[in-house]
Amino acid sequence: LSSEPIERRVSYLGDRLRGTKCQICGKEYFEIRDYCGNCGRKSFGKMLDTDLFYEKGKLEVCTLVNEPTNKFTKLGGYVYGIVSFHEGKVRVPGRLTDHIVKCDEEIDFSNLEGRPVTPRFRRRYSVDKSDIIPTISLAFTFADEYYPHQDHNLLKPSKEYDVAGIVGYGCYSSRFRINEGSMQRAIPFVDEDAITAAVEAGKLALIHSGVSSSHIGKVYVGSESNPYAVKPIASKVAQVLRLGEEDEDDVQGVDAVDTEFACKAATSVFKDAVSLVNYSKSNVDNAMVIGTDNSQAAPRDCPGGELDLFVGYGAAAFVFGKNDVIAEVEGWYSCTSDTPDFWRRDGEPFPMHGGRFTGDPAYFKHVRKASKKLMERLRLQADDVDYFVAHQPNAQFPVKVAKELGFKEEQYLPSLQVVKFGNTYSGASPVGLAAVLDVAKPDSRILVASYGSGAGSDAYSLLTTSQILDKRHRQKLTVKYQAENPFLEYVDYTTYRRLKIGM
Amino acid sequence: MQNLPAIVAAGRTRFGEHYEKEPEKLIEEAWLKASIEANLERKDIEACYLSDYFLPITNKLGLEEGFLSELTELHVPMEVTRSFSSALSNACNAIIAGRHDVVLVGGIEKMTDRWDKIRDDLMLLEDPWSFYAGCTPEANHELMLRAYIKKYGLKGENLEKLNVALAQVSVNNHLHATKNEFAQYQRKITLENVLDARKEARKPLGLYDFAPISDGAATIILSSDKTAKKLTTKPVYVLGFSSATDFLTFPARDDLTHFIVTRIATKNALKAAGLSLRDLQLTELYDQSTVMEMVSLEDMGFCELGKAWNSIYESCQEYQGYYEIDGRQLFVNMNGGLKADGNPLGATGGAQIFEVFRQLRGEAGERQVKTDKGLKHGCVLELEGFGTKGYVYVLGSDKN
Repeated sequence: LSSEPIERRVSYLGDRLRGTKCQICGKEYFEIRDYCGNCGRKSFGKMLDTDLFYEKGKLEVCTLVNEPTNKFTKLGGYVYGIVSFHEGKVRVPGRLTDHIVKCDEEIDFSNLEGRPVTPRFRRRYSVDKSDIIPTISLAFTFADEYYPHQDHNLLKPSKEYDVAGIVGYGCYSSRFRINEGSMQRAIPFVDEDAITAAVEAGKLALIHSGVSSSHIGKVYVGSESNPYAVKPIASKVAQVLRLGEEDEDDVQGVDAVDTEFACKAATSVFKDAVSLVNYSKSNVDNAMVIGTDNSQAAPRDCPGGELDLFVGYGAAAFVFGKNDVIAEVEGWYSCTSDTPDFWRRDGEPFPMHGGRFTGDPAYFKHVRKASKKLMERLRLQADDVDYFVAHQPNAQFPVKVAKELGFKEEQYLPSLQVVKFGNTYSGASPVGLAAVLDVAKPDSRILVASYGSGAGSDAYSLLTTSQILDKRHRQKLTVKYQAENPFLEYVDYTTYRRLKIGM
Repeated sequence: MQNLPAIVAAGRTRFGEHYEKEPEKLIEEAWLKASIEANLERKDIEACYLSDYFLPITNKLGLEEGFLSELTELHVPMEVTRSFSSALSNACNAIIAGRHDVVLVGGIEKMTDRWDKIRDDLMLLEDPWSFYAGCTPEANHELMLRAYIKKYGLKGENLEKLNVALAQVSVNNHLHATKNEFAQYQRKITLENVLDARKEARKPLGLYDFAPISDGAATIILSSDKTAKKLTTKPVYVLGFSSATDFLTFPARDDLTHFIVTRIATKNALKAAGLSLRDLQLTELYDQSTVMEMVSLEDMGFCELGKAWNSIYESCQEYQGYYEIDGRQLFVNMNGGLKADGNPLGATGGAQIFEVFRQLRGEAGERQVKTDKGLKHGCVLELEGFGTKGYVYVLGSDKN
């Protein structure tokens, strides 16, 4: 059995790559230290907490590991090496991730050494199913490939809006795809899961928003593929992203909670986040909502296996607030009924799918109702809406419901990302929304209608502001960039299942 | 005047896989050989210094001293350390201080009992952060080699020579081990074996570049120089010894190409012995990998930094059993080194000391080193972890 205290300490340091810098002589360390080796006792109290989480490193030297230690065997072969930061002032061990080393692949190490790398938040290694899942950011990818390094610069709040809304966002998906029929679907690398995607998306949202992580007072994570039945993803997100106020101790001053309602687990709480930041006594300037899923499906020949043709992987995170809003939330409508169209019993690895209810009594009925009711309430016609974003379990449903509601292709196509990433479950409509935010002009109205099996729908109307353009350059990892990236790697079905099941 | 520690007898088992024997049985075998040589009984032993790197993990043995007490029915002071060199340091200090007069130093390891998990254990103990990042016991050696190649700007023909020289290190060690009845691998290998294994592994070092996983035990009997004369006609004196310590996390060290512990320990051990490197014709190096043998030649000072590969390469054009460095002969790892003799961690240093002891007494049989002026001094380098600790012993057949 693993040791929880050791696990907690290693994760605390390793997830964020926490370090220390001596403010007297400038010496830097990986890991937290109270003293500097050069300056001795006089450095006590003068050691600055630092971290390498947003930094760009350099792969100094590397080799191939093709016979890993037991805990790493599910990674197959991988490149392992030493990464330096800050012109070599601090060095850490690290493995390259997001790379499937083929069994006859000859790697020229000198081609890899010297290249810039970015830390990635991943599962550390395999453990028993009942153990704590170990994570770490001593996994790296090349910054000149799929995942570029982005500077993390905070923005000073410049304008307070009357209406709260989205302040920044980030969408994260892996660099692996399976290409079947008319659909490409994202697949996690073997060390990824719903937790790692949530952290990565949250990181991107913080980069884009420019909001200080200390100003995030609450984080909600919606998922239906949390690898834990009991233990929130949100707590990991809060700690790794250092959300909320920080004191001397290692407990973040933030409220964190996971939500679950099939694919609308995240969208359901957009309104909670908006309300919270709008409530004068909440003391919460910003709230973060993340929808994340390593969408689950049984293998194709098993019950529930029909989902295996559609499931994707990804997460989207949104920072809500009243300062420097890029899209105001002008209204919402939610509806719910007890319609058992899709479920997963506790302890079961894969969801089941009630074929009878899928479609009309479930998806269409709820999405249609929420959208119509919201449009009625806001006195909107289809023409008043610039972009329509619907939950997208496949390529057909969102198109059909969009047409029924009177929307034209130019209104619903920009959000239709399911053919690029697969059904990202709790991340599905959020990824669609992120794709629209990537391209929308100021003063555009976006109608989002999520759907969660079980069943319910949340419709939101968003109105973009001029700041959407001001902040656009702050996000290199747009949805389009991830969908059309030249470094995407396509895998076969067997590899797809192996990666999806993970470590 | 201070006592000078002297080795009066040594015994060891063959290294390899001993799945039929308990760890205590191995130490018993090694002890019996040493005690017969010194004509000592258990009751003559005043204290025991035992080393094992991780018997509590591999064999679930805590309180190893208790097992030894039960075996020997002795109730004398016993202490356990991680490496043979560490045990020997304690023993030497006790002799020098006059605390004890005759002590047993023993080392034992039983790695094959935990064959399936041993690499995880080794890596986690050696360097936890690197382990968490995916390192293997082999990878750090390869990174050191990559760093070495970069630092000294080796390419083209020189890089080829370096790779061949490293392969030759393994070939030499296997050749030496054919004359060592205790060695794990008493068979020759070829340059092609080493190079092919690297090619198959698609990385800088292959199977034949690394020491194996081994079981085994080694013991010596240590006494003061006065008592030594009564126990043997040919005592071998511990003329000088020292150790040094470095960071656990390899990437955090200033120098990725060398082991600072070796440099410090060598310098201090030589100073204590009142000798210079030129007085040493024989050394047992800690070749957990071929790279380690190469950099240790530089770290100890036998070769200039960044040049050892060339000395090895040139010496191996027609290998005569020694390296020729600046016109001098240096005999290295005559027992086959860790590569071929075996590497049961807690006992490894014992085998190294055993070898120099035998050589200095002229008892090394077929592998006996012959030098023009007669072999008087030898030294041993033992490391713990990946250069986290380094111990150097300078042994001599005369007191100086």
